[in-house]
Amino acid sequence: MKTNVLRLCIASALIAATSAAGERPKGPDRYAITGARIVTGSGQVIEQGTLVLEHGLITAVGASVEVPDGVWVIDGSGKVVYPGLVDALSDIALEKSEASGDAPFSRGPLDRPGTTSWAAAADALVLDDDRVEAWRNAGFTSTVSSPSTGIVSGQAAFLNLAGERDEDLVVATPVALRVNFEPNANRSFPGSLMGVLAYIRQVFADASHYRVSQTAYAREPRGKRRPRYDRALAPLAEAQVDGWPVLMPGHWEHEIERAVRLGREIGVRPVVYGLHEGHRAAEFLASENVAVLVSLKWPEADEDRDPEAEEPLRVLRMREQAPKTPAALAKAGVMFGFYSDGLESPKEIFASLRKAIDRGLTHESALHALTLGPATIFGVDDRLGSLEAGKIANVIVADGALFDENTRIETVFVDGAKYEIRKSTDEGGAP
Amino acid sequence: MILTRTLTILVLFSGAAASAQDDVIAITGGKIVTLAGEPIENGTIIIRNGRIAEVGANVAVPAGAEVIDASGLEVYPGMMDAVSRLGLTEISSTAATVDTTELGDYNPQLTAATAVHPSSEHIPVARANGITHAVTAPGGSGGFGVGGPYGIHGQASLINLAGWTVEEMAVKMSVGMVLHWPTIQTSTFDFSTFSRVEKKFSEVKEQYEDRVAELEDWMDAARRYAGESEKETDLKLEALAKVVEGELPMMIMADDARDIKRAVQFAEEQGIKMILLSGRDAWKEKALLAEKNIPVILGPTLRLPRTEDEAYDKPLTAASELQAAGVRVIFASFSSANSRLLPYEVGNAVARGLPWEEGLKGITLYPAELFGVSDELGSIEEGKRANLIITDGDPLEIRTEIKHLLIDGVPTSLDNRHLELYEKYRARQ
Amino acid sequence: MNVKRFVWTAGLVASVRVIAGGGAAVAQTMVIRGGTILTVTNGTMVNGDILVEDGKIVEIGTNLSVPEGALVIDARGQFVMPGIIDAHSHIAAESINEGSVAVSSMTGIEDVLDPTDINIYRELAGGVTTSNILHGSANPIGGKNAVIKHRWGSDAEGLLFKGALPGIKFALGENPKRSRGGRRGVPRRYPATRMGVIDVIREAFTKARAYRKEWQDYEAQKAHGQADLVPPRRDFELEPLVEIMEGKRLVHAHCYRADEILQLLRVAEEFDFRIATLQHVLEGYKVAKEIAEHGAGASTFSDWWAYKMEAYDAIPYNAALMTEKGVLVSLNSDSAEEARHLNQEAAKTLKWGGLSEEQALALITINPAKQLRIDDRVGSIEVGKDADFAIFDTHPLSVYAVPQKTIVDGKVYFDREEDAERQKALVEERAELLEKLKPATEEKQ
Repeated sequence: MKTNVLRLCIASALIAATSAAGERPKGPDRYAITGARIVTGSGQVIEQGTLVLEHGLITAVGASVEVPDGVWVIDGSGKVVYPGLVDALSDIALEKSEASGDAPFSRGPLDRPGTTSWAAAADALVLDDDRVEAWRNAGFTSTVSSPSTGIVSGQAAFLNLAGERDEDLVVATPVALRVNFEPNANRSFPGSLMGVLAYIRQVFADASHYRVSQTAYAREPRGKRRPRYDRALAPLAEAQVDGWPVLMPGHWEHEIERAVRLGREIGVRPVVYGLHEGHRAAEFLASENVAVLVSLKWPEADEDRDPEAEEPLRVLRMREQAPKTPAALAKAGVMFGFYSDGLESPKEIFASLRKAIDRGLTHESALHALTLGPATIFGVDDRLGSLEAGKIANVIVADGALFDENTRIETVFVDGAKYEIRKSTDEGGAP
Repeated sequence: MILTRTLTILVLFSGAAASAQDDVIAITGGKIVTLAGEPIENGTIIIRNGRIAEVGANVAVPAGAEVIDASGLEVYPGMMDAVSRLGLTEISSTAATVDTTELGDYNPQLTAATAVHPSSEHIPVARANGITHAVTAPGGSGGFGVGGPYGIHGQASLINLAGWTVEEMAVKMSVGMVLHWPTIQTSTFDFSTFSRVEKKFSEVKEQYEDRVAELEDWMDAARRYAGESEKETDLKLEALAKVVEGELPMMIMADDARDIKRAVQFAEEQGIKMILLSGRDAWKEKALLAEKNIPVILGPTLRLPRTEDEAYDKPLTAASELQAAGVRVIFASFSSANSRLLPYEVGNAVARGLPWEEGLKGITLYPAELFGVSDELGSIEEGKRANLIITDGDPLEIRTEIKHLLIDGVPTSLDNRHLELYEKYRARQ
Repeated sequence: MNVKRFVWTAGLVASVRVIAGGGAAVAQTMVIRGGTILTVTNGTMVNGDILVEDGKIVEIGTNLSVPEGALVIDARGQFVMPGIIDAHSHIAAESINEGSVAVSSMTGIEDVLDPTDINIYRELAGGVTTSNILHGSANPIGGKNAVIKHRWGSDAEGLLFKGALPGIKFALGENPKRSRGGRRGVPRRYPATRMGVIDVIREAFTKARAYRKEWQDYEAQKAHGQADLVPPRRDFELEPLVEIMEGKRLVHAHCYRADEILQLLRVAEEFDFRIATLQHVLEGYKVAKEIAEHGAGASTFSDWWAYKMEAYDAIPYNAALMTEKGVLVSLNSDSAEEARHLNQEAAKTLKWGGLSEEQALALITINPAKQLRIDDRVGSIEVGKDADFAIFDTHPLSVYAVPQKTIVDGKVYFDREEDAERQKALVEERAELLEKLKPATEEKQ
């Protein structure tokens, strides 16, 4: 009897843990989790609550919710229910771009060096990425995935980490424009940070001009010279007009300030990513009302470095204090999200989060930075990021407090589809 | 204080060595800082056949002597640049004019003097600011740096900064063997890609150890060669054997504390005499250097601290710190074009704590002693060569002018390229 | 942006405040007492006092009364001179060159200022209070500059010398000719000769003229009420050149040889503007007459020479000879190391060229101030000017002079005695941090 039950559990777990691209038998479409501690993520904690999800959406959540007929009931006693987590910036499920060793030689700003602003993550997805499952097993139901090469890399998409076809993942696109301050490796323009920043200024000015001249030309072409076609500019103009978050890098305090100032100058909404020295810039960011993405890859000394080489105190300080950045930002009232920044597994992500909590970040703020924070930054907080009726059913069920070391994620819902997480899965749970 | 052309000199040679054997010159009326006792106020120096014959307060001037009136002026031993590139480089960015560093890591057989260009414009320029003789050494960086790549670069030569040919200039053809100690550098600048290249420490450390092992092999080979009676002549080993046999000191250039320690250990194991060159971090190993009696020819006082957090004035106070710990401190320009600024390197060290006399000796007596020529140079004493400068004040101070300069007792012109261009274009209407 | 102070350690902050007298934002009243004041423009005052309020010089005299609460700086036996101004510097910037293109006027140092560069502090320790941070010399027309005050501890905005006329870098001679490329399929960048260098400049200004006309036509049409107008595309490369032609941006031109200096002066005259400063200008003494006639200033090294062919005729008399011939001359560093002893570089002109002490001091104070058009604010000790001072323990024109304190806007940013304490605190802090960071590395192993 026990063996059969075990087999059944393994079978269902195996079925449940299959990747989204593989075959999955269709599961129930309606669930209710009862008697659980529900952390809504929007301020409310319900000690003994019920959450109902039907046809991909949360339909009810509360202390005294009636369980509708015919739903699959999950006993949530002793469990804690959270909104699904968001990795605020990654390249998960994104096609690997060819290493461009032979980047075209650029003679100046008009050659649009390193600019692929039209490239949308949503149009280049591949489900066949181990991280989709690995992240999901650890409670990450979403990520913002973006191209990342060049200076203006392209358009980020907000993805749910489950689906049968690539397009199923896309919740919203475009949600941001990603910019890097990377000079050209081939020694053509721009070959320096100074050149990169000057280029960004010029290309965004060109985008404004493009919009104005296109509009005027469309109104009345006669008597006007025809505007130059430039596919790089339309997305930039949209970013300016529609207020897309434009992701710009900054780790040191002066870099963070630089990114914000440049963003303002070019008429966009800057969102700084990186933030190792963010604790020093917290007041500035708060007063400028700028949201940021904090890298969870805390800075570390290179392992294979000269042990006798004296590192600057500035670097040592930054390294020692980086994990207290989130607490400082939260205290100053800065809106922020967390991103994995190339960490290789959710295990590392959670270890990183615990460091921040050790340095003063409250569990509440940590959760916010993994849920409603990024949802708000990327403009999908009306449909994601917290457990509220009407929102998308991205829900996770844990056997304890989320950030505790021993807590395991047992069940994950993405768009209302249920995934049971096997105990033996390496990447499973919040280890 | 306008620089005045000296009009009291009766004989002006530009670059000529002493000709007439019986020339007698008397320098009178000046304050003589001999560096061999108390200064002599209102003293007299008699020079005969290029040598100092007499020095004193009440010395009679022989009849027929050429007199240089030094009243109101001061007389010092001519300054010595203990490591320079004089004559070996003309325009550092133009390779055709640069002969400081040969190809290959092990060239003990090369000698700087064989490449010295007696007509180098740098020589009269250095001389005009009081440098009368200098050690010129292979191994320069060819640029703004103190020293070039790793290797045994050859032998340094001591030359007077006057003479029609190197043969006339040479005081001692070979005074030391120049070795640039290897160093572990994880971060280097690649000029072909114009970017910083980071290497793994473990890789670079291995290369470092390999090089040290190679050096030890070379020393062993030289020792064997020296001991053999019948052998085929090997110019490299023959040269290196001079170090092994104690004839030549090993002038080891090292800056990192780690390298300095290792070099000291190497010298001890090899049983050779070591002189430390540049020694940016020498102050960190001052106790070791003092204990082992290793003199330091310091690299520029006027250089930036090694790391971001090091005291801003560390390179400025290093000399006094070393001297106070009992280390023999000598100064050098490690340059050709900037040899003329040597006294100000010392002046800066004195400003930050080095006793003035130690500073002055650091560019006169001490380098002479170091290279075994103190019977000839370095102070104003009977029997020594008359390499002298007559100034209107403290030679370490910037505004002090050199009024007269003698090399081997011959009053030597202070004309130089800079002065010529100045006068030519000053005259332009 | 508010001035932010680096918090080295709590103890250090406290001790800094004892000297600087507290609050970050507002400079307080200060009296410098009993020093020999080298005003540069009004002679020397022995046993003089300077009263400073809100970062400005309010009074200079002997035996001034000390207002209550004022910070007193005892300068007895010491020499007080105006803070040194370095007209050619590359510190505090994360990029120096955009050498990929011949004209990089769209770039600017302000974009890449790095207020954490320790050289800002090290130069304070040499008496420098204001620096002209320039783009490098890889291009005939380079990028825009940033004039900064050495307000160590402030953020990038806080470093800027507000109100200083903006500038831009040009470069002639070997450096802009020696472009990257010609290897690995990267095409060599024009120009490769001095002919081409001048050509690049003329081409650029020809384009700039056309660009200016385009905008002038547009403004005229707009003024006439013409409807449905599309403004011309803003070109950030040409805009600074238009500013140059309108006298709103200063040209600082790196140059060596006499012939190229003259060529540049004539090109400027062709396009109706003047070169503000010739930088390095090592052969300036050969054409001092023409430079003076044109009205350009000259900012040179004291005595670097023979490192390039074009520096072979450089002479230590350059500054003095050009001064003699009527050129406004300053001495600069172009080096974080050299900037720390510009007072010594100035002293060299006493001997090499026979300048007077006042002329020598002017080379690193009022002259560069005039060249940068900030002489209404800095460059001499006069009532109404900024309280920027360098205090030495003996006359600054001596190799033995050691800077004791450096003051910017009436705040002490460098104090030699304080620095010793700071050094100790840094050593302690390092040990603490290494201890704190240890568990992480041990865990990893």
